[in-house]
Amino acid sequence: MSDALGSARELVSDRVGDRAGEWDRAGRLPLDLLRDLGSAGVLCAQVPVKDGGLGLSSKENGELTAHLGALCGSTRSVATSQGMAAWVITRLGSRRQRTAFLPRLTGGELAAVAFSEPEAGSDLAAMATEIRRDGDDVVVSGEKVWITVGAYADLVVVFGRFGDGAAAVVVPTAAAGVVVERVEDPLGCRAAGHATVRLDSVRVPADHLLGAAGQSLSLLVTSALTYGRVSIAWGCVGILRSCREAAASHARSRTQSGKPLAEHQLVAEHLAELLVAEQVATRMCEHASTCWDDGSPDLVIASVLAKHVAATNAARGAASAVQVLGSAGARDGHPVARAYRDAKLMEIIEGSNEICRLLLAGAA
Amino acid sequence: MNIALGLQDFLVTRTKRSWEPEEDLFASGVVSSLFALELVVYLEKAYGVEVEGENLSIDNFRTIRRIEELVRELQAAAS
Repeated sequence: MSDALGSARELVSDRVGDRAGEWDRAGRLPLDLLRDLGSAGVLCAQVPVKDGGLGLSSKENGELTAHLGALCGSTRSVATSQGMAAWVITRLGSRRQRTAFLPRLTGGELAAVAFSEPEAGSDLAAMATEIRRDGDDVVVSGEKVWITVGAYADLVVVFGRFGDGAAAVVVPTAAAGVVVERVEDPLGCRAAGHATVRLDSVRVPADHLLGAAGQSLSLLVTSALTYGRVSIAWGCVGILRSCREAAASHARSRTQSGKPLAEHQLVAEHLAELLVAEQVATRMCEHASTCWDDGSPDLVIASVLAKHVAATNAARGAASAVQVLGSAGARDGHPVARAYRDAKLMEIIEGSNEICRLLLAGAA
Repeated sequence: MNIALGLQDFLVTRTKRSWEPEEDLFASGVVSSLFALELVVYLEKAYGVEVEGENLSIDNFRTIRRIEELVRELQAAAS
Protein backbone atom coordinates (compact mmCIF):
# COMPACT_ATOMS: atom_id res chain seq x y z
CA MET A 1 0.00 0.00 0.00
CA SER A 2 1.40 3.44 -0.92
CA ASP A 3 1.96 6.04 1.80
CA ALA A 4 -0.69 8.27 0.24
CA LEU A 5 -3.29 5.47 0.29
CA GLY A 6 -2.36 4.50 3.85
CA SER A 7 -2.70 8.07 5.12
CA ALA A 8 -6.00 8.55 3.28
CA ARG A 9 -7.43 5.34 4.76
CA GLU A 10 -6.35 6.43 8.22
CA LEU A 11 -7.98 9.83 7.83
CA VAL A 12 -11.23 8.24 6.62
CA SER A 13 -11.23 5.74 9.51
CA ASP A 14 -10.65 8.54 11.99
CA ARG A 15 -13.14 11.08 10.61
CA VAL A 16 -15.95 8.75 9.53
CA GLY A 17 -15.55 5.86 11.99
CA ASP A 18 -18.93 4.55 13.13
CA ARG A 19 -20.85 7.84 12.70
CA ALA A 20 -22.62 6.95 9.44
CA GLY A 21 -25.84 5.84 11.15
CA GLU A 22 -26.19 9.16 12.94
CA TRP A 23 -25.63 11.11 9.69
CA ASP A 24 -28.01 8.83 7.81
CA ARG A 25 -30.80 9.44 10.31
CA ALA A 26 -30.16 13.20 10.24
CA GLY A 27 -30.01 13.18 6.43
CA ARG A 28 -26.97 15.44 6.61
CA LEU A 29 -23.20 15.06 6.55
CA PRO A 30 -21.16 17.56 8.57
CA LEU A 31 -19.86 20.16 6.12
CA ASP A 32 -16.53 20.43 7.96
CA LEU A 33 -16.02 16.68 7.42
CA LEU A 34 -16.50 17.09 3.67
CA ARG A 35 -14.28 20.18 3.51
CA ASP A 36 -11.55 18.42 5.49
CA LEU A 37 -11.67 15.23 3.39
CA GLY A 38 -11.77 17.38 0.27
CA SER A 39 -8.79 19.52 1.20
CA ALA A 40 -6.84 16.36 2.04
CA GLY A 41 -7.46 15.22 -1.55
CA VAL A 42 -9.33 12.13 -0.38
CA LEU A 43 -12.57 12.84 -2.27
CA CYS A 44 -10.89 12.83 -5.70
CA ALA A 45 -7.76 10.88 -4.94
CA GLN A 46 -6.79 10.13 -8.56
CA VAL A 47 -6.09 13.80 -9.29
CA PRO A 48 -2.34 14.13 -9.96
CA VAL A 49 -0.06 15.47 -7.25
CA LYS A 50 0.81 18.50 -9.41
CA ASP A 51 -2.85 19.54 -9.25
CA GLY A 52 -3.03 19.09 -5.50
CA GLY A 53 -4.33 15.51 -5.53
CA LEU A 54 -2.96 12.32 -4.06
CA GLY A 55 -2.10 10.86 -7.46
CA LEU A 56 -3.51 7.43 -6.61
CA SER A 57 -3.94 4.81 -9.31
CA SER A 58 -7.47 3.67 -10.10
CA LYS A 59 -6.86 0.48 -8.12
CA GLU A 60 -5.60 2.38 -5.08
CA ASN A 61 -8.48 4.83 -5.33
CA GLY A 62 -10.80 1.84 -5.57
CA GLU A 63 -9.44 0.35 -2.37
CA LEU A 64 -9.94 3.72 -0.66
CA THR A 65 -13.48 3.94 -2.07
CA ALA A 66 -14.31 0.44 -0.81
CA HIS A 67 -13.02 1.38 2.64
CA LEU A 68 -15.15 4.52 2.63
CA GLY A 69 -18.11 2.59 1.22
CA ALA A 70 -17.90 0.05 4.03
CA LEU A 71 -18.12 2.85 6.59
CA CYS A 72 -20.56 5.33 5.06
CA GLY A 73 -22.44 5.14 1.76
CA SER A 74 -23.31 8.84 1.82
CA THR A 75 -19.71 10.01 2.21
CA ARG A 76 -18.69 7.51 -0.48
CA SER A 77 -21.34 9.07 -2.75
CA VAL A 78 -19.74 12.47 -2.20
CA ALA A 79 -16.37 11.02 -3.18
CA THR A 80 -17.85 9.45 -6.31
CA SER A 81 -19.32 12.81 -7.37
CA GLN A 82 -16.20 14.78 -6.55
CA GLY A 83 -13.99 12.25 -8.33
CA MET A 84 -16.30 12.22 -11.34
CA ALA A 85 -16.28 16.04 -11.54
CA ALA A 86 -12.48 16.03 -11.35
CA TRP A 87 -12.30 13.34 -14.02
CA VAL A 88 -14.66 15.21 -16.38
CA ILE A 89 -12.51 18.32 -16.05
CA THR A 90 -9.37 16.21 -16.64
CA ARG A 91 -10.81 14.27 -19.58
CA LEU A 92 -12.72 17.02 -21.37
CA GLY A 93 -11.01 20.20 -20.25
CA SER A 94 -7.94 21.95 -21.60
CA ARG A 95 -4.65 22.08 -19.69
CA ARG A 96 -5.55 25.60 -18.58
CA GLN A 97 -8.94 24.47 -17.29
CA ARG A 98 -7.37 21.59 -15.36
CA THR A 99 -4.95 24.04 -13.76
CA ALA A 100 -7.82 26.39 -12.92
CA PHE A 101 -10.34 23.92 -11.48
CA LEU A 102 -8.59 20.84 -10.10
CA PRO A 103 -6.78 22.64 -7.25
CA ARG A 104 -10.18 23.95 -6.14
CA LEU A 105 -11.50 20.37 -5.93
CA THR A 106 -8.47 19.27 -3.93
CA GLY A 107 -8.61 22.41 -1.80
CA GLY A 108 -11.92 21.83 -0.03
CA GLU A 109 -14.51 23.00 -2.56
CA LEU A 110 -17.19 20.42 -3.32
CA ALA A 111 -18.47 19.46 -6.75
CA ALA A 112 -21.46 17.66 -8.24
CA VAL A 113 -22.08 16.34 -11.74
CA ALA A 114 -25.50 17.01 -13.28
CA PHE A 115 -26.96 14.71 -15.96
CA SER A 116 -30.52 13.70 -15.06
CA GLU A 117 -33.55 15.82 -15.80
CA PRO A 118 -37.30 15.37 -15.24
CA GLU A 119 -37.66 13.86 -18.74
CA ALA A 120 -34.12 12.50 -19.16
CA GLY A 121 -33.17 9.65 -16.85
CA SER A 122 -31.89 6.51 -18.55
CA ASP A 123 -32.46 8.29 -21.88
CA LEU A 124 -29.98 11.12 -21.48
CA ALA A 125 -30.36 11.94 -25.18
CA ALA A 126 -33.64 13.56 -24.11
CA MET A 127 -31.69 16.17 -22.14
CA ALA A 128 -33.25 19.63 -22.58
CA THR A 129 -30.82 21.83 -20.65
CA GLU A 130 -29.43 24.42 -23.02
CA ILE A 131 -25.88 25.75 -22.98
CA ARG A 132 -25.13 28.62 -25.39
CA ARG A 133 -22.39 31.13 -26.02
CA ASP A 134 -23.20 34.80 -25.55
CA GLY A 135 -20.17 36.98 -26.19
CA ASP A 136 -17.55 36.25 -23.54
CA ASP A 137 -20.06 34.29 -21.47
CA VAL A 138 -21.92 31.03 -21.53
CA VAL A 139 -25.60 30.95 -20.58
CA VAL A 140 -27.09 27.80 -19.02
CA SER A 141 -30.83 27.11 -18.65
CA GLY A 142 -32.53 23.95 -17.47
CA GLU A 143 -33.47 21.74 -14.55
CA LYS A 144 -31.36 18.90 -13.18
CA VAL A 145 -32.79 16.35 -10.76
CA TRP A 146 -31.39 13.85 -8.29
CA ILE A 147 -28.01 15.55 -8.28
CA THR A 148 -25.86 13.81 -5.69
CA VAL A 149 -23.97 16.32 -3.52
CA GLY A 150 -26.07 19.11 -5.06
CA ALA A 151 -27.01 20.38 -1.60
CA TYR A 152 -23.35 20.77 -0.57
CA ALA A 153 -21.74 21.68 -3.89
CA ASP A 154 -19.79 24.84 -4.63
CA LEU A 155 -19.49 23.82 -8.28
CA VAL A 156 -21.72 21.76 -10.56
CA VAL A 157 -20.49 20.27 -13.82
CA VAL A 158 -23.62 20.61 -15.94
CA PHE A 159 -24.20 18.59 -19.12
CA GLY A 160 -26.55 19.95 -21.77
CA ARG A 161 -27.30 20.64 -25.40
CA PHE A 162 -25.00 23.01 -27.24
CA GLY A 163 -26.05 23.81 -30.80
CA ASP A 164 -26.29 20.53 -32.71
CA GLY A 165 -24.17 18.72 -30.13
CA ALA A 166 -23.56 18.74 -26.42
CA ALA A 167 -21.26 20.34 -23.88
CA ALA A 168 -20.27 20.33 -20.23
CA VAL A 169 -19.83 23.53 -18.27
CA VAL A 170 -18.64 24.27 -14.73
CA VAL A 171 -21.28 26.32 -12.91
CA PRO A 172 -20.67 27.81 -9.44
CA THR A 173 -23.76 27.32 -7.27
CA ALA A 174 -23.27 30.89 -6.05
CA ALA A 175 -23.93 32.22 -9.57
CA ALA A 176 -27.10 34.27 -10.08
CA GLY A 177 -29.97 32.10 -11.31
CA VAL A 178 -28.90 28.84 -9.60
CA VAL A 179 -31.52 27.46 -7.22
CA VAL A 180 -30.73 24.28 -5.24
CA GLU A 181 -33.54 22.37 -3.53
CA ARG A 182 -32.68 19.34 -1.41
CA VAL A 183 -34.45 16.00 -2.06
CA GLU A 184 -35.73 15.01 1.37
CA ASP A 185 -35.69 11.40 2.57
CA PRO A 186 -34.19 9.54 -0.39
CA LEU A 187 -34.33 5.74 -0.11
CA GLY A 188 -30.59 5.32 0.28
CA CYS A 189 -27.39 7.32 0.84
CA ARG A 190 -29.73 9.66 2.71
CA ALA A 191 -27.04 12.14 3.71
CA ALA A 192 -25.45 12.47 0.26
CA GLY A 193 -27.16 15.80 -0.41
CA HIS A 194 -29.33 14.80 -3.39
CA ALA A 195 -30.89 17.91 -4.84
CA THR A 196 -32.79 19.46 -7.70
CA VAL A 197 -30.69 22.16 -9.37
CA ARG A 198 -32.57 24.78 -11.38
CA LEU A 199 -30.59 26.95 -13.77
CA ASP A 200 -32.40 30.09 -14.87
CA SER A 201 -30.30 31.78 -17.58
CA VAL A 202 -27.18 31.33 -15.47
CA ARG A 203 -24.27 33.29 -16.92
CA VAL A 204 -20.68 32.08 -16.42
CA PRO A 205 -17.42 33.03 -18.18
CA ALA A 206 -16.83 31.19 -21.47
CA ASP A 207 -13.70 29.55 -20.08
CA HIS A 208 -15.98 27.46 -17.83
CA LEU A 209 -17.10 25.58 -20.94
CA LEU A 210 -15.03 22.39 -20.96
CA GLY A 211 -13.03 21.56 -24.07
CA ALA A 212 -14.66 21.42 -27.44
CA ALA A 213 -18.27 22.48 -27.06
CA GLY A 214 -20.67 20.83 -29.51
CA GLN A 215 -19.34 17.33 -28.94
CA SER A 216 -21.08 14.00 -29.08
CA LEU A 217 -23.29 13.61 -26.01
CA SER A 218 -22.38 9.93 -25.78
CA LEU A 219 -18.66 10.76 -25.58
CA LEU A 220 -19.28 13.31 -22.83
CA VAL A 221 -21.64 11.15 -20.81
CA THR A 222 -19.65 7.93 -21.23
CA SER A 223 -16.46 9.73 -20.18
CA ALA A 224 -18.06 10.87 -16.95
CA LEU A 225 -20.00 7.69 -16.23
CA THR A 226 -16.99 5.45 -16.73
CA TYR A 227 -15.37 7.01 -13.67
CA GLY A 228 -18.69 6.97 -11.81
CA ARG A 229 -19.29 3.30 -12.57
CA VAL A 230 -15.86 2.21 -11.38
CA SER A 231 -16.26 4.28 -8.23
CA ILE A 232 -19.75 2.97 -7.45
CA ALA A 233 -18.61 -0.59 -8.10
CA TRP A 234 -15.83 -0.20 -5.54
CA GLY A 235 -18.31 1.39 -3.14
CA CYS A 236 -20.49 -1.72 -3.53
CA VAL A 237 -17.47 -3.85 -2.61
CA GLY A 238 -17.42 -1.83 0.61
CA ILE A 239 -21.12 -2.49 1.20
CA LEU A 240 -20.53 -6.22 0.70
CA ARG A 241 -17.51 -6.18 3.01
CA SER A 242 -19.43 -4.52 5.84
CA CYS A 243 -22.44 -6.81 5.33
CA ARG A 244 -20.30 -9.97 5.27
CA GLU A 245 -18.49 -8.91 8.44
CA ALA A 246 -21.72 -8.00 10.27
CA ALA A 247 -23.49 -11.20 9.21
CA ALA A 248 -20.55 -13.47 10.06
CA SER A 249 -20.00 -11.82 13.42
CA HIS A 250 -23.67 -12.14 14.35
CA ALA A 251 -23.97 -15.71 13.09
CA ARG A 252 -20.95 -16.82 15.11
CA SER A 253 -22.00 -15.10 18.33
CA ARG A 254 -25.75 -15.78 18.48
CA THR A 255 -26.85 -19.21 19.58
CA GLN A 256 -30.21 -20.73 18.66
CA SER A 257 -31.37 -24.32 19.12
CA GLY A 258 -28.17 -25.11 21.01
CA LYS A 259 -25.57 -23.96 18.48
CA PRO A 260 -24.33 -20.78 16.80
CA LEU A 261 -26.40 -19.59 13.84
CA ALA A 262 -23.33 -20.08 11.62
CA GLU A 263 -23.56 -23.82 12.23
CA HIS A 264 -27.12 -23.97 10.90
CA GLN A 265 -26.58 -24.90 7.28
CA LEU A 266 -29.17 -22.56 5.77
CA VAL A 267 -27.60 -19.61 7.60
CA ALA A 268 -24.09 -20.78 6.64
CA GLU A 269 -25.23 -20.72 3.03
CA HIS A 270 -25.95 -16.98 3.36
CA LEU A 271 -22.42 -16.43 4.71
CA ALA A 272 -20.88 -18.38 1.84
CA GLU A 273 -22.92 -16.43 -0.70
CA LEU A 274 -21.89 -13.14 0.88
CA LEU A 275 -18.23 -14.10 0.62
CA VAL A 276 -18.67 -15.16 -3.02
CA ALA A 277 -20.55 -11.95 -3.84
CA GLU A 278 -17.84 -9.79 -2.27
CA GLN A 279 -14.98 -11.65 -3.92
CA VAL A 280 -16.56 -11.68 -7.38
CA ALA A 281 -17.35 -7.96 -7.16
CA THR A 282 -13.81 -7.26 -6.01
CA ARG A 283 -12.28 -9.14 -8.94
CA MET A 284 -14.53 -7.28 -11.41
CA CYS A 285 -13.47 -3.96 -9.86
CA GLU A 286 -9.81 -4.91 -9.95
CA HIS A 287 -10.17 -5.77 -13.63
CA ALA A 288 -11.79 -2.42 -14.44
CA SER A 289 -9.16 -0.52 -12.47
CA THR A 290 -6.34 -2.44 -14.11
CA CYS A 291 -7.79 -1.50 -17.51
CA TRP A 292 -7.93 2.12 -16.32
CA ASP A 293 -4.36 2.11 -15.04
CA ASP A 294 -3.08 0.38 -18.21
CA GLY A 295 -4.91 2.83 -20.52
CA SER A 296 -6.83 -0.03 -22.14
CA PRO A 297 -9.96 0.78 -24.19
CA ASP A 298 -11.49 -2.29 -22.53
CA LEU A 299 -11.92 0.01 -19.54
CA VAL A 300 -15.22 1.32 -20.89
CA ILE A 301 -17.09 -2.00 -20.96
CA ALA A 302 -15.17 -3.27 -17.91
CA SER A 303 -16.59 -0.36 -15.92
CA VAL A 304 -20.14 -1.33 -16.92
CA LEU A 305 -19.46 -4.96 -16.04
CA ALA A 306 -17.96 -4.07 -12.65
CA LYS A 307 -20.77 -1.70 -11.77
CA HIS A 308 -23.47 -4.16 -12.81
CA VAL A 309 -21.98 -7.15 -10.99
CA ALA A 310 -21.06 -5.18 -7.87
CA ALA A 311 -24.41 -3.40 -7.58
CA THR A 312 -26.53 -6.51 -8.06
CA ASN A 313 -24.28 -8.47 -5.68
CA ALA A 314 -24.47 -5.67 -3.10
CA ALA A 315 -28.27 -5.52 -3.26
CA ARG A 316 -28.55 -9.29 -2.92
CA GLY A 317 -25.80 -9.47 -0.29
CA ALA A 318 -27.28 -6.71 1.85
CA ALA A 319 -30.66 -8.50 1.76
CA SER A 320 -28.92 -11.71 2.92
CA ALA A 321 -27.17 -9.85 5.73
CA VAL A 322 -30.47 -8.44 6.98
CA GLN A 323 -31.90 -11.97 6.81
CA VAL A 324 -29.02 -13.41 8.88
CA LEU A 325 -29.30 -10.71 11.54
CA GLY A 326 -33.08 -11.05 11.68
CA SER A 327 -34.71 -8.65 14.10
CA ALA A 328 -31.28 -7.39 15.23
CA GLY A 329 -30.71 -5.84 11.81
CA ALA A 330 -34.27 -4.98 10.91
CA ARG A 331 -34.33 -1.49 12.33
CA ASP A 332 -33.47 1.93 11.04
CA GLY A 333 -29.94 2.86 12.00
CA HIS A 334 -28.41 -0.61 11.93
CA PRO A 335 -25.52 -0.83 9.44
CA VAL A 336 -27.09 -3.73 7.49
CA ALA A 337 -30.45 -1.94 7.25
CA ARG A 338 -28.63 1.13 5.93
CA ALA A 339 -26.62 -1.05 3.53
CA TYR A 340 -29.88 -2.63 2.30
CA ARG A 341 -31.30 0.78 1.37
CA ASP A 342 -28.02 2.13 -0.02
CA ALA A 343 -27.40 -0.97 -2.14
CA LYS A 344 -30.81 -0.74 -3.81
CA LEU A 345 -29.93 2.78 -4.96
CA MET A 346 -26.73 1.41 -6.52
CA GLU A 347 -28.85 -0.71 -8.88
CA ILE A 348 -30.49 2.46 -10.20
CA ILE A 349 -27.78 5.10 -10.54
CA GLU A 350 -24.97 5.48 -13.11
CA GLY A 351 -26.84 3.15 -15.44
CA SER A 352 -29.66 1.05 -14.06
CA ASN A 353 -29.33 -2.74 -14.07
CA GLU A 354 -31.38 -2.77 -17.25
CA ILE A 355 -29.24 -0.17 -19.05
CA CYS A 356 -26.07 -1.99 -17.99
CA ARG A 357 -27.43 -5.24 -19.42
CA LEU A 358 -28.24 -3.53 -22.71
CA LEU A 359 -24.68 -2.19 -22.90
CA LEU A 360 -23.24 -5.60 -22.02
CA ALA A 361 -25.44 -7.26 -24.63
CA GLY A 362 -24.02 -4.86 -27.21
CA ALA A 363 -20.52 -6.01 -26.32
CA ALA A 364 -21.41 -9.71 -26.39
CA MET B 1 2.85 1.20 -36.35
CA ASN B 2 0.87 1.95 -39.51
CA ILE B 3 -1.94 4.07 -38.14
CA ALA B 4 -4.59 3.13 -40.71
CA LEU B 5 -3.90 -0.60 -40.33
CA GLY B 6 -3.92 -0.41 -36.56
CA LEU B 7 -7.20 1.48 -36.67
CA GLN B 8 -8.73 -1.09 -39.01
CA ASP B 9 -7.78 -3.87 -36.58
CA PHE B 10 -9.28 -1.97 -33.65
CA LEU B 11 -12.48 -1.17 -35.53
CA VAL B 12 -12.96 -4.71 -36.78
CA THR B 13 -12.56 -6.00 -33.22
CA ARG B 14 -15.07 -3.51 -31.84
CA THR B 15 -17.64 -3.40 -34.64
CA LYS B 16 -17.25 -6.83 -36.30
CA ARG B 17 -16.89 -5.29 -39.77
CA SER B 18 -14.31 -3.48 -41.91
CA TRP B 19 -14.43 0.22 -42.80
CA GLU B 20 -13.52 2.34 -45.82
CA PRO B 21 -11.08 5.19 -45.07
CA GLU B 22 -13.71 7.90 -45.72
CA GLU B 23 -16.72 6.09 -44.25
CA ASP B 24 -18.51 7.94 -41.42
CA LEU B 25 -18.22 5.74 -38.34
CA PHE B 26 -20.98 7.48 -36.46
CA ALA B 27 -23.53 7.80 -39.28
CA SER B 28 -23.76 4.04 -39.66
CA GLY B 29 -25.53 3.31 -36.39
CA VAL B 30 -23.17 0.34 -35.97
CA VAL B 31 -21.02 1.78 -33.19
CA SER B 32 -22.30 1.72 -29.61
CA SER B 33 -22.66 4.68 -27.27
CA LEU B 34 -19.49 3.48 -25.55
CA PHE B 35 -17.45 3.44 -28.75
CA ALA B 36 -16.27 7.07 -28.91
CA LEU B 37 -14.52 6.85 -25.54
CA GLU B 38 -13.07 3.43 -26.35
CA LEU B 39 -11.62 4.93 -29.53
CA VAL B 40 -10.08 7.90 -27.69
CA VAL B 41 -8.49 5.65 -25.05
CA TYR B 42 -7.22 3.31 -27.78
CA LEU B 43 -5.57 6.16 -29.71
CA GLU B 44 -3.86 7.47 -26.59
CA LYS B 45 -2.48 4.05 -25.67
CA ALA B 46 -1.57 2.84 -29.18
CA TYR B 47 0.03 6.01 -30.49
CA GLY B 48 1.27 7.71 -27.32
CA VAL B 49 -0.77 10.87 -27.85
CA GLU B 50 -2.98 12.89 -25.53
CA VAL B 51 -6.39 13.69 -27.01
CA GLU B 52 -7.73 16.52 -24.92
CA GLY B 53 -9.80 19.68 -24.89
CA GLU B 54 -10.67 20.98 -28.34
CA ASN B 55 -9.29 17.83 -30.01
CA LEU B 56 -12.14 15.78 -28.56
CA SER B 57 -14.53 17.21 -31.16
CA ILE B 58 -16.49 14.34 -32.70
CA ASP B 59 -15.57 15.54 -36.20
CA ASN B 60 -11.99 14.43 -35.51
CA PHE B 61 -13.18 10.82 -35.16
CA ARG B 62 -15.67 10.48 -38.01
CA THR B 63 -13.50 8.60 -40.49
CA ILE B 64 -10.33 6.53 -40.46
CA ARG B 65 -8.69 9.19 -42.64
CA ARG B 66 -9.54 12.00 -40.23
CA ILE B 67 -8.44 9.99 -37.19
CA GLU B 68 -5.15 9.23 -38.91
CA GLU B 69 -4.63 12.95 -39.56
CA LEU B 70 -5.44 13.79 -35.94
CA VAL B 71 -2.92 11.25 -34.63
CA ARG B 72 -0.22 12.62 -36.96
CA GLU B 73 -1.01 16.19 -35.88
CA LEU B 74 -0.82 15.27 -32.20
CA GLN B 75 2.40 13.31 -32.69
CA ALA B 76 3.94 16.26 -34.57
CA ALA B 77 2.84 18.72 -31.87
CA ALA B 78 4.33 16.55 -29.14
CA SER B 79 7.72 16.07 -30.85
